[in-house]
Amino acid sequence: MSLVEVMNVTKEYANGEESIRPLDGVSLTVEEGDFLSLMGASGSGKSTLLNLIAGIDLVTSGEIVVADTDITKLSRGKLADWRARHIGYIFQTHNLIPVLTAYENVELPLLLLPMSGAERRKRVEIAMEAVDLTSRASHYPRQMSGGQEQRVGIARAIVANPTLVVADEPTGSLDDETTEQILLLLERVNNELGMTLLMVTHDADAGQRAKRKIRLERGRLMENGQELQTAKLRTA
Amino acid sequence: MLKFVPYVLKSLWRHRARTLLTVSGTAVALLVFCFIGAVQQGLLALTSDEDSGRTLIVFQENRFCPQSSRMPQDYERTISKMPGVKDVIPIKVFTNNCRASLDAIVFQGMPAEKLKAWRDIDLQSGDMASFASQDDAALVGIDVATRRGLSVGDKFTIGDVSVVVRGVFQSATAAENNLIFTQLDFLQRARGANDVGTVTQLEVHLNETADPDALAKQIDDEFRTGPVGTTTRTKGMFQADTLADLAELIGFVHWLGYACVGLVLSLVATTTVMSVQDRIKEHAVLQTLGLRPLRVFNLVIIESFLLSTLGGILGVVGSSLLLSSTGMSIAAEGVTIAFEPSLALAVQGIVVAVVVGLLAGLAPGWHASQTEIVSALRHA
Repeated sequence: MSLVEVMNVTKEYANGEESIRPLDGVSLTVEEGDFLSLMGASGSGKSTLLNLIAGIDLVTSGEIVVADTDITKLSRGKLADWRARHIGYIFQTHNLIPVLTAYENVELPLLLLPMSGAERRKRVEIAMEAVDLTSRASHYPRQMSGGQEQRVGIARAIVANPTLVVADEPTGSLDDETTEQILLLLERVNNELGMTLLMVTHDADAGQRAKRKIRLERGRLMENGQELQTAKLRTA
Repeated sequence: MLKFVPYVLKSLWRHRARTLLTVSGTAVALLVFCFIGAVQQGLLALTSDEDSGRTLIVFQENRFCPQSSRMPQDYERTISKMPGVKDVIPIKVFTNNCRASLDAIVFQGMPAEKLKAWRDIDLQSGDMASFASQDDAALVGIDVATRRGLSVGDKFTIGDVSVVVRGVFQSATAAENNLIFTQLDFLQRARGANDVGTVTQLEVHLNETADPDALAKQIDDEFRTGPVGTTTRTKGMFQADTLADLAELIGFVHWLGYACVGLVLSLVATTTVMSVQDRIKEHAVLQTLGLRPLRVFNLVIIESFLLSTLGGILGVVGSSLLLSSTGMSIAAEGVTIAFEPSLALAVQGIVVAVVVGLLAGLAPGWHASQTEIVSALRHA
């Protein structure tokens, strides 16, 4: 069974009197250990799909099963618990908590899991080491560069050893050199730590670094020039 | 949730000017709240303690200000013989201001042995022997001494009455800490007046079986045909009647106490709303990381609770220090209301701050917890 199964997902929302449907019955599977890039034009719905898979947005119809849990059936509270255990989210604009140090930002997801203080410290140190920011642990976001902030964001996303790491335009606000560093880091997360990675990007070069490249065009998912087949709903 | 308290504290510290202003505003409001409470408690203590129901005050009929009540001192002997009477204290009262005043000085002249027998006072300095042996000696209540900076050996004059301080006392009855006790005959002769043989009031102590109302009527009936008619009431009723105007005012002022509570509610709620609006995106990030909506709600509640409680504690401590260090009181017609801090009032103030803090966080907390993550993440 695939790690992620997106089945006939439609997302529709109102924009004034107009109804917008960025996703129209899309289906997708992601296997464990995949590094998948999701590309498409601006407004094509790629971030919407990522947010649906990450459980921070709700489908209009269809099913999304991640690690054998149909997340479209979960209540808001249960969905939050599920995210804490299964999802690591890397934002485009880092979104670190400004009043917390790098260490505390990385520690944040672990506060939601049943874990001893010693175990928490150990995991944060490993994550900080993985992104090579041990020396910056006590620094606040305002004391760090954009690249360093994003590395802290990556450490925060991987620290709880999630089932799936999702990254929404992780290099969108970085210069070329820093983009390269972040992409290398994401590759390491996938190759060395074995984490499944789903990355949304509008940068074709960045997208090419993934093992699987998917394009979202006019509400349809394309891989290698072929539209991905519509899956059967589990509940159908 | 305790794991997130450092985050809440750091968030408050991030906007320290706003936090400081809210805490100080809350502290001032709670200070006023406790101050009003102290005045109300002072009034309540005067009219509701056990002594106020078992002691009668005989006053000249149709007289209000102590200076205008002049009863023959020998009424004392007549009343003493009545069944149910334990003792009678003849008291001469002099006050520098008969109207309501925050700094009225009230002298009560009475025989030294009666003072010792019937006033539960504890001398903080000086001694009773030198008071009893010196004609112009005075025992000064601790609140008057604090207010006027008086200590043993000081001589002072108020309205032609000059006394030497021979002791500073603390009374179990808070209002008495605003009195100055002298010898009866000294006050009768003070200010060049020849009031020997007359007193302002008679304090009648009853035994356990006596009926205060019946005895009051008996006293007034006894002197109806005498040289001076009397009005006799229980001490509580006498004080309530004397302070009726002030009591009405104090009754009205308690609305200001409620206004203070409303002020704290609106102040803390405004700050919390601003804080939530500033951090729409931050709360969305926390929810993305897996914080349940209820936990986000709790974070906001903890924040408003801390603001209000910290301000409340400062206000309560401030009012206690102010009230205990200044010895403030208000007096009218020789009866004083002490503004006394009390543990009950402090606890009440802190409970009000805690409850208001929790209430103030409800709406912003609910708003924060219901944030749609995706749209909030797009928030600038």
